[in-house]
Amino acid sequence: MPMLDIKNLTLEIDTPMGWVSALDKVSLSIDTSEIRALVGESGSGKSLIVKSIVGAIPERWRVTADRMNWKGNDLLGMSGNQRRAITRNEISVILQNASAALDPSATLREQIEESIPSYRLTKGWFWQRRQQRLDIAIQELHRVGIRDHNLCLSSYAHQLPEDICQKFSIAMALVSKPKLLIADNPTVGMETTTKVQILKLLTKLNKTQGLSVLFVSHDLLAIAAMANTMTVLYCGQTVESGSIEQVKRRPLHPYTKALLDSAPSFRRDLPPKSPLSCLDGTIPTLQHLPIGCRLGPRCPRAQRECVKMPATRHIHGHSYACHFPLHRDKP
Amino acid sequence: MNSLLTVSGLSYRKQKSGLFSNRELFRLSPLSFELKRGETMAIMGENGSGKSLLAKLLVGVLQPEAGSILLNGEPMCDSRQQRRFSAIRMIFQHSKDSLNPGLTLGGQLEEALILNTNMSATERKRQIENTLVKVGMLPEHQYFYRHMLSEGQHQRAAVARALILDPQVIVADEPFAALDPSVRSQTANLLMNLQQQLGLGFIFISHNLGIVRHISDRILVLEKGKVVESGKTEVIFNWPKSEYTKRTIQAHQELISGQ
Ligand SMILES: Nc1ncnc2c1ncn2[C@@H]1O[C@H](COP(=O)(O)OP(=O)(O)OP(=O)(O)O)[C@@H](O)[C@H]1O
Ligand code: SF4
Ligand SMILES: [Mg+2]
Repeated sequence: MPMLDIKNLTLEIDTPMGWVSALDKVSLSIDTSEIRALVGESGSGKSLIVKSIVGAIPERWRVTADRMNWKGNDLLGMSGNQRRAITRNEISVILQNASAALDPSATLREQIEESIPSYRLTKGWFWQRRQQRLDIAIQELHRVGIRDHNLCLSSYAHQLPEDICQKFSIAMALVSKPKLLIADNPTVGMETTTKVQILKLLTKLNKTQGLSVLFVSHDLLAIAAMANTMTVLYCGQTVESGSIEQVKRRPLHPYTKALLDSAPSFRRDLPPKSPLSCLDGTIPTLQHLPIGCRLGPRCPRAQRECVKMPATRHIHGHSYACHFPLHRDKP
Repeated sequence: MNSLLTVSGLSYRKQKSGLFSNRELFRLSPLSFELKRGETMAIMGENGSGKSLLAKLLVGVLQPEAGSILLNGEPMCDSRQQRRFSAIRMIFQHSKDSLNPGLTLGGQLEEALILNTNMSATERKRQIENTLVKVGMLPEHQYFYRHMLSEGQHQRAAVARALILDPQVIVADEPFAALDPSVRSQTANLLMNLQQQLGLGFIFISHNLGIVRHISDRILVLEKGKVVESGKTEVIFNWPKSEYTKRTIQAHQELISGQ
């Protein structure tokens, strides 16, 4: 049984032009010790999935799902308290835009110490605990590569550069020793060496402590290096999902192929300065969603049938939703 | 071939006044380089190594402590501010924030033309429409407000803002960082295309080594305000000299081969 199991999650939000489905029958699952990447264009709904999982969406929006289970328990059916207990003890989230997600009115020391769960404090007397809290905080900061822990802990978020805030958010998310870490674009704009350090840390926690990770990112290189499985989202619909090897070696959905082809580092045969391949146009706005397959207007393989939503098909644990997938001949 | 941009002995000292005045003053040590027409230079370096500062010096947002910047062999000094602003243009780090929410895109492009040229209203309109088409947008987009543009169109709008004054050099601070792969490729293609057509010099700051390797001719590496390495892209990728460059490129290779 997967730890997190989402089947046909639909999220409708109200806009001035009426209700639109920002997420349309999204399916996603994460097993124990699995690192799953969630990729997709800007505006495809990745952050909305993250927010739906942790229940951080406005009350008036409509969330429905055939299944949305955490360890077999229905997340949508449980009380707010139960849900908060899970997001406090078992699931940690790093939101996009790290510095803005931190509390501006408290020092980073207060914030990280507050996140330390009580079972990590083994010492008896309160002054010993005080010291132990600080020790744990410092140790976590060192792990994510923050060397100057004193400066960091005594500062407020706005006083520090964005890259330190990013690393700090990762440290804070790990301090409660979660079962699942959801990281929304945690390495965006990071230097390569720092990024590799963070990826290694997550991989190590995954190997040694069985940490599961939902890694939301645009960085295909980082994803390919770290994740086991990958789910591709386009315009609020899951278009393809499978193991990294499967998806990379043999993408079945035209969007996935376009996505993989666009990364110059994946293509060693590419002459310098040659045009990079990409789909024409941009992702439509929620107010102007095409009917049927939402990739339709930009898809090189689109046919008349594509105005009907393609069903999701499965082959060998690899799933895709397309009428004319790449392993069939061009229509 | 003559160089388009010649920078020699450019340096800067950051005056930190106020509460923390005794904490490190930032110093950019004298640096020199040349850029030819149609050439692309990437600036790499740690966060806080002075990359954005160098970009600001080049476009004239900040004044250097010493040194000179020659464009086509002519000095660009203070009395010619106007020419400098139109000849070297910048694409800022967060294109989304750099557009004014209360003005249409066309209004904003026109502002730059009113401030920097003597064009008539019809000439301005033509220039705006031509520039939008150059960056792959539609003339109608001049009537759009910021919130009506998608992420990719924002990036194009930022390029249009840089191009509207027919510059010879474009300087961009992390133009690719926030973009998703397909918009990233579109923007990179757009810039490479414009370079071929217009012979633009392009200087950009980036942590994305895949893109750096693909589109740059030369690289300049900064560390704590000093140039620690500079040269041809392929040479630096194959034979990095400084510790920082070695570490960064090794990390990048590790990512590629770790797949
Ligand atoms: N509060 C909101 N009100 C209305 N629409 C919203 C709201 N939040 C998000 N959206 C819309 O939902 C869609 C998905 O947004 P989301 O933030 O999930 O994108 P994303 O995949 O995380 O993109 P990025 O890669 O840029 O982070 C977008 O079209 C966005 O405009
Ligand atoms: S269903 Fe049609 S439009 Fe959609 S991805 Fe497949 S071929 Fe393209
Ligand atoms: Mg997001």
